[in-house]
Amino acid sequence: MSNSFIIRNAERGHDMIKSDGLRSSYIAGHPDGFVTRASSFNFHEYQGGRPGFGPIRVFGDEIFHGAGCGYNMHPHHNFVICAFVFAGELTHINTAGAGMVDRLQAGDYYVFSAGSGGKHSELSVTPEDMHAIYLWLLPEQLYLPPTYHRAHFDFRRRRNEIVQLVGDDSGALPIAQDLRVSRLMADASRSFSYRLRTTSHGVYVFAREGSVRCGDVTLGRRDSTGIWNVDAINIEVLEDDADVMIVETIMTDDENIKKWEREHAGH
Amino acid sequence: MSTERFKLLLCLGCGFSYDEALGLPEHGIAPGTRWADIPDDWVCPDCGTPKHMFEMVVIGYAPGGPELARTA
Ligand SMILES: [Fe+2]
Ligand SMILES: [Zn+2]
Repeated sequence: MSNSFIIRNAERGHDMIKSDGLRSSYIAGHPDGFVTRASSFNFHEYQGGRPGFGPIRVFGDEIFHGAGCGYNMHPHHNFVICAFVFAGELTHINTAGAGMVDRLQAGDYYVFSAGSGGKHSELSVTPEDMHAIYLWLLPEQLYLPPTYHRAHFDFRRRRNEIVQLVGDDSGALPIAQDLRVSRLMADASRSFSYRLRTTSHGVYVFAREGSVRCGDVTLGRRDSTGIWNVDAINIEVLEDDADVMIVETIMTDDENIKKWEREHAGH
Repeated sequence: MSTERFKLLLCLGCGFSYDEALGLPEHGIAPGTRWADIPDDWVCPDCGTPKHMFEMVVIGYAPGGPELARTA
């Protein structure tokens, strides 16, 4: 029997974080810069929701408003952080290894594994607002050597197919976890099947734009669903220019998540 | 000392780890200090996230990991 949950757009944690007061050390772009963030999972002050999915702890779409806006330099360990850019330009700076400055535009994405430690800053330095999805996950092992990889998704050529961006496919960016991120940009009335690696894996489907039918659930813009204990899922596109993110992951045996599920059984 | 296995916790704000076996000697917490014995108002030394937002994890160390964790 399959398991699933649905998170509607409005049910996500919606935050607006201004670069003022104490927050200006964290949020860049003082005095008028601000970040808007919509989080699918329980993160920081957003305490009401599901704590994660497998090793995923953050799945959020963010907008950096105003030139100079973003996150100032701050440290990380262990987390694997991925960013997928959809509009504007993201300047990613990290201190891991020899250090890195990278500029990412629509279709570009990175995988930054903080491992044994590194600081990073995420900035929008151009006039237009920067739109990205951030994904954070727990790694397979703690204190790995830090890594940074980046690539580009060519949405003009890769239409109407599920394209693996991160994972073990050739051409995908490597990641220190049993997890794959794919993207589907497709036209109405097309239908796609996604086969999971094993029944110990689950899949999180996020309709970034457009609307799709996933199993017996209709997802509108920014709605999402998590499904596990299935062999495969079917995604039927209901609206042109649908843009769907598909994250397949091993379903780690997580006491925090199970506790939350027990407390919210039947909801 | 209790024979219960040592726990490992991760800060959900930044990924900083607390390993009961290692403690945090540089922050005045001796090796073997149980998570339950750390004050409730303790916060992550790297990012200020409160103690209750650490998550217990069962993830192994990469080679050399415990040494890196001790000095992180
Ligand atoms: Fe960060
Ligand atoms: Zn922290």
